[in-house]
Amino acid sequence: MSTAPAIRIHGLTKTFRVARTTLVRAVDGLTLAIAPGERVAFIGPNGAGKSTTLKVLSGILHPDEGEATVLGYVPWRDRRTLAFEIGTVFGQRSQLWYHLPPRDTFALLARVYEVDSSVHRRRLASLVEAFDLGACLDTPVRQLSLGQRMRAEIVASLLHAPRVLFLDEPTIGLDVSAKAAIRGLLRGQSQDGHATLLLTSHDTGDIEHVCERVVILHQGKVLWDGSIDGLRRRYMKTRRLTLWSEAEQLTLDLPGARVLAARPHVTEIALDPGTTPVGALVDAACRQGLLHDLTIEDTPLDEVIREIYGEAARHVS
Amino acid sequence: MTPRVAKYVAFGRVAAAHALENRAELGGRMAFVAIILGVFSSLWRAVAEHGIPIAADRAALVWYLAATEWIVLTAPTAHVDIEREIRSGDITCHLTRPFSYPLALVAQGIGMILVRGPFVGLAAFVCGVVLTGGAPSPTLLARFVPFAFMAMLLVYGLHVVIGLLAFWLTDVTPVFWIAQKLLFVLGGLMLPLTLYPDWMQRLAHLTPFPAMLGGPAGLLVPATAPDTVRLARDLAVWIVVVAIVARTLFERAVRTLQVSGG
Repeated sequence: MSTAPAIRIHGLTKTFRVARTTLVRAVDGLTLAIAPGERVAFIGPNGAGKSTTLKVLSGILHPDEGEATVLGYVPWRDRRTLAFEIGTVFGQRSQLWYHLPPRDTFALLARVYEVDSSVHRRRLASLVEAFDLGACLDTPVRQLSLGQRMRAEIVASLLHAPRVLFLDEPTIGLDVSAKAAIRGLLRGQSQDGHATLLLTSHDTGDIEHVCERVVILHQGKVLWDGSIDGLRRRYMKTRRLTLWSEAEQLTLDLPGARVLAARPHVTEIALDPGTTPVGALVDAACRQGLLHDLTIEDTPLDEVIREIYGEAARHVS
Repeated sequence: MTPRVAKYVAFGRVAAAHALENRAELGGRMAFVAIILGVFSSLWRAVAEHGIPIAADRAALVWYLAATEWIVLTAPTAHVDIEREIRSGDITCHLTRPFSYPLALVAQGIGMILVRGPFVGLAAFVCGVVLTGGAPSPTLLARFVPFAFMAMLLVYGLHVVIGLLAFWLTDVTPVFWIAQKLLFVLGGLMLPLTLYPDWMQRLAHLTPFPAMLGGPAGLLVPATAPDTVRLARDLAVWIVVVAIVARTLFERAVRTLQVSGG
């Protein structure tokens, strides 16, 4: 496999005119590199520059400054050629023809991407099996459930075996089991086909279950770029403990411990283990009576990200 | 067939299959032709009974209206789909794929016309026979159909141009209403243009509308039949003009995305 980055961005800047005189810098000097086969989550609050970056990388928009290559192509210059190598899934947008079965859209896309018929048949058979679409391949799209439709959308984007896949909110509106299925399939397809995957989502489940690296954007700039584990280590300094005690109330006045909620016999605490070890807190609780049960959780990724956005907003103001 | 041509043929085929599967819309268009022809046939009978010469040849007027309604109701309402794609941002999905959006629109338009045309045409023909007790000669019909097909393409092109304006206007419904009313009046939807005052006929012929409706429909009414060579030339010129306008609008729209974002 080539060691050159699949996606390389350097100093990318894009400004839009919103009103006649107002200029908004959607992307501001963005620099990053994504290796072939890497699965990267691109997250940030609305207006952070995620979609603009994806549009630049897929060749729809020209940047004002900076450079970018996708698989060695300059997207805005080589858009038509690059289009054969990339796939896109937009969770709220459909590429399927509403009154026709998915098979017809798949056949159209095979023509659009100039895929040989025998190659198309083989690839379709393999994707239909992987995505469990056999039963609905010949059912009009209007009669499919949202989960079936989304699986068909993803198959439509994978039919030409793209080397880079851009996904924008691929699980939006799906139920829990459909989300889990889609996430597993995306991860599997990326691993099997060595496709580079760039995903934007507001659902941290997508990020945790599909990606290995996360890039957090805010006002067009990178706030964090690293592994999800690294993000946890860097920002998840506290653990959340819930204690079920014999005593009606626990008094836990320890450094690094903060009571989040207290009900009779149940106490929720945020603890910084670097300041007070978990064992010390449990000892302190046991000294006040029998401890029936105890849970220790990481701070949810949602909260970590919210905290990062909040920090950035405070910094700007 | 080269892969490049094959992809646009595939767009046409899928659009045709989609139009065929959308039975509610197809049935609605066929029913509407029948209703319009029934209403106006009754109206002209009443007018003729009062001795007003405009409705003297009721059968000719019914066939004229059957022809114009066939053209109007077969031409796909592309502006609705294009406006929806622009408003929802779906248009950006198309830009990431290896095909020309304007050429795909042309292919889809032809596909839909080839499916809807026979069905709506059959409804118009049956109603015409029932309401007049006769039918135009096969020679007249054979001469009329190719011109009608070109006219449907031209009306579709007008709808595409209106749809593309959604890049700037977001809601193109008012533009469509104005264009549609101009088409009905200056195109001669209900009455041949030869019945209009001279100044209005001159004004109408400065626009593409007579080539869309009155020209082709006039071929079914021997008394008002236009010069076929001139009609073919007018249709070809206006189709080229509309295609150039659509392409220019699309290119400008893509440039607008660069300035204002998606």
